[in-house]
Amino acid sequence: MDTKKLSKDKLGEFVAVLAKQNKLYIPQKEGENLKFKPLSGDQEELDFPRITTVPPKDVFFPQTETLYRFEQGGTDISFPKEEEEAVVLGIRPCDARAMAIMDSLFSWDIDDPYFLNKREKTTLIGLACLEPGVNCFCTSVGGGPASTEGLDILLTDLGEDYLLQVLTEKGGKIKLSVEELLEEAAEDDLDTAEKLVKEATSKIGRSINTDGIQEKLPELWESPLWKNLSNSCLGCGICTFLCPTCHCFDIQDEMEGLEGRRCRVWDSCMFEEYTLHASGHNPRPSRRERLRNRINHKYSYFVQNFGKIACVGCGRCIDLCPVNIDVLDILSQVVKEAI
Amino acid sequence: MVDLEKLKSIAKETVSRDDVKYLIGWRQGTYGFRVSPHFVEKPEEAEELIFSPLCTNNLASYLVLPEKLPLPRGVEPDSRKVALMVKGCDSRAVVQQIVEQGIKRDEIIVIGCPCEGVIDLEKVEERFPNQLESVTAQWSNGKIIFHLPEGNEEIPKEEVLATKCLTCRYPNPVLSDLMLGDEVETWGDEKYEDVKELEAKDPQERWSFWEEAFSSCVRCYSCRNVCPMCYCEDCILDRLNPTWINRSNNASENTAFHLARAFHLAGRCIECGECERVCPAGIPLTKLNRKLSKVVQENYEYIPGIDPESKPFQSSYRPEDQEDFIL
Amino acid sequence: MKENGNPYKPEIATVEDTWYETYGERSIKTFKVVLDDEKARENWGHRPGQCAMIGLLGVGESMISISCSPTEGNFLRFSVLRLGKVTGALHELEPGDKMTVRGPYGNSFPVDDWKGKKILTIGGGIGQAPLRPIVEYVRANRDEYEDLTLIYGARTSEDLVFKSEFEALGKQDDINCHLSIDIEEEGWPHYVGFVPSLLMEVNPSPENTIAITCGPPIMIRFVLENLKKLNFADEQIYTTLENRMKCGIGKCGRCNVGGLYVCKDGPVFSYATLKDVPEAFA
Repeated sequence: MDTKKLSKDKLGEFVAVLAKQNKLYIPQKEGENLKFKPLSGDQEELDFPRITTVPPKDVFFPQTETLYRFEQGGTDISFPKEEEEAVVLGIRPCDARAMAIMDSLFSWDIDDPYFLNKREKTTLIGLACLEPGVNCFCTSVGGGPASTEGLDILLTDLGEDYLLQVLTEKGGKIKLSVEELLEEAAEDDLDTAEKLVKEATSKIGRSINTDGIQEKLPELWESPLWKNLSNSCLGCGICTFLCPTCHCFDIQDEMEGLEGRRCRVWDSCMFEEYTLHASGHNPRPSRRERLRNRINHKYSYFVQNFGKIACVGCGRCIDLCPVNIDVLDILSQVVKEAI
Repeated sequence: MVDLEKLKSIAKETVSRDDVKYLIGWRQGTYGFRVSPHFVEKPEEAEELIFSPLCTNNLASYLVLPEKLPLPRGVEPDSRKVALMVKGCDSRAVVQQIVEQGIKRDEIIVIGCPCEGVIDLEKVEERFPNQLESVTAQWSNGKIIFHLPEGNEEIPKEEVLATKCLTCRYPNPVLSDLMLGDEVETWGDEKYEDVKELEAKDPQERWSFWEEAFSSCVRCYSCRNVCPMCYCEDCILDRLNPTWINRSNNASENTAFHLARAFHLAGRCIECGECERVCPAGIPLTKLNRKLSKVVQENYEYIPGIDPESKPFQSSYRPEDQEDFIL
Repeated sequence: MKENGNPYKPEIATVEDTWYETYGERSIKTFKVVLDDEKARENWGHRPGQCAMIGLLGVGESMISISCSPTEGNFLRFSVLRLGKVTGALHELEPGDKMTVRGPYGNSFPVDDWKGKKILTIGGGIGQAPLRPIVEYVRANRDEYEDLTLIYGARTSEDLVFKSEFEALGKQDDINCHLSIDIEEEGWPHYVGFVPSLLMEVNPSPENTIAITCGPPIMIRFVLENLKKLNFADEQIYTTLENRMKCGIGKCGRCNVGGLYVCKDGPVFSYATLKDVPEAFA
């Protein structure tokens, strides 16, 4: 593995070089909301939050994306132009793993060119998590504070410098473009990084044993658990929209004057409309069925189809749920009931 | 101060009644300072009930949230009563729902909880970060005592209370079937300082402020879903045929969404602040709703959610009502 | 964005002919359409049971069963029940008008595996649309199959689709055709009652038979029950499911029953596959 060091003094230059050659996404505030947005030029201080409110999935799977355009009454269809090379800087390992999880879905039998094209052209520079949050549980679902899955480069904050580990060919190309800003990393630096990551791992306070959860969930299909849990559910889209692995979408035609487009927009399995038939029949008529499907999809169906849990343990759904519906609490009840 | 033992015994007694479906209250959440709505169906479940400065949720939303599913032939709808714990602000939501005939007075049992103000979770979690173990809290002489694992912490109320509580005019439930504890002294006055601050800005500045706020919206609809006054069976936001508000997320559609909602709440919003509390994007929605409250109050002397016998503001007319804004 | 191989890219198709199957608020209209692009037409190659996303630019798309067999010619047929925004707009189309079509989607009835077997279709209302391609496919390859039995019903005689076709089929010696309506009507020469009861009346033998059913969820449930009573094995029973769909290619999420996606793993399922799948008959 190619390992270098980037002095924090040179972070500004590092960002400038990346931004010159690529569309560069970094965490930024929009109003009070934290999300990854393209660097717009006059970014003052670079600040990497522990986690963004909106996960960086929207770089690849924007909340609104034009599939193609047309004119009213016409039959000519024009497609949006191809994406440019991009870099996402400061993505956390959990969010990067989420992209690897989404890859499985978007390349499942039929390739989704919109998603995969952006994935192909984008390099992910991750930042190891040295200060995990109260609801982090990445280590329970196959990740960790310095997990490299989905990443091209991993940075670890050593205090004065970042340790920079190149993980893929794509990462190697980026490294070459910033080569002159980098220093050699010493054996010590690697040890320090390892120690810091170990400390971070030990700070993760929440966990769940997911062994056999795929089989346990369907067994509890008729359990009163779901009614009890969904009693307080508001049926809003927070837990799905802000989940880094949730990928459901709606397709809508929108007209503006004579110009029209067919676009895809995020959708949520927690919304009534999601499964509502045109006849008025709804196979998931209440929040009980919707919540049950959400949990089953993440921890059972997805595992059945792709061999992995569709959850990276980022804790956003727990942090942000207005009524304290806590996925770890749900899973621990599942484990308990299934025994 | 609400006596917890009294609360539990009243709750047990209430849910034991044949004509009561369940009681909705609060219980300690799964970690830290979190609290969760608690649906008590069996007497033993009442043991978990709490009332403390952590009880932020306005439970009146649950009176209008249940899905009305088609019943199998021959099955009668469940007409049993719902018992509900309310703070002052929450009780205003119940009153307004009654005024609008969203619910019927005899379908509910209101358990009033005089309230000295609830916390702003963000402020508290910032002060005590990474608090995994459950923490309880209580009011005490203008302070809030947090029972942390490492010992008690007393914090002056003003430092951790939700902004809406700092100017609260209705800490005591305006409607209740029974009250837990004595009424508390009212401290708030309404000067709409926050609204005035925005009003003082020039239109361009105000527009940029809201444009940025609305742009940050993720359209999760948590503001609508949590709102005790947002209970239309057919919401304009969901309509697809015709589509009033596109599903795409951009400043224009998002603005249409928030303004449509704000106007539908004019003279109805009871300022519980739930929309702003739940918003993951931190959009200052109460500023928007309070601007409309101020307009309604100043022009029509109408304050929603006070008198269950009153008429809904938007469907009542008095000869002396101002109409100089009509062109 | 690349155009070639873009699964969201629709073909433009021209409506060649349309006619109403049923009238009223929830009318059913059939469209015979031809893809404009010659190459696309040649590459289309659908199999009985598959669906397509049809729609109008500026309005939207709906997943609709292809109600013709590829043996009928180089065109497509869709029978559309007027329900929502898209189907409402589709109903306005007249011959010469354009629509968008993408697909074909989903799996299909394993008609090749069924060779040498007796075929029994049990349909209700618009549910006959996905069954029609089987009937036509079997008719086009009549020597390769044993008995062909059709059971079909609707609420009233006005609600039956493909009526003139059924009339013609009823006169053929090599097809057993059983029609029913729910409510008594003057001059109705066939069965009166629900489709599941008609099935018991017909009393088909399960021996070397494949039963395929499609219709309203409640009808399917009782048909399945009755097929079990008639000793059909789970593997002999097939059905097609429908759910709200948007992408048609297993990405958008909403059409799942358990871990299966109706658009991709279905719409055709054997009862052996479905019986333990959560929400399959929800």
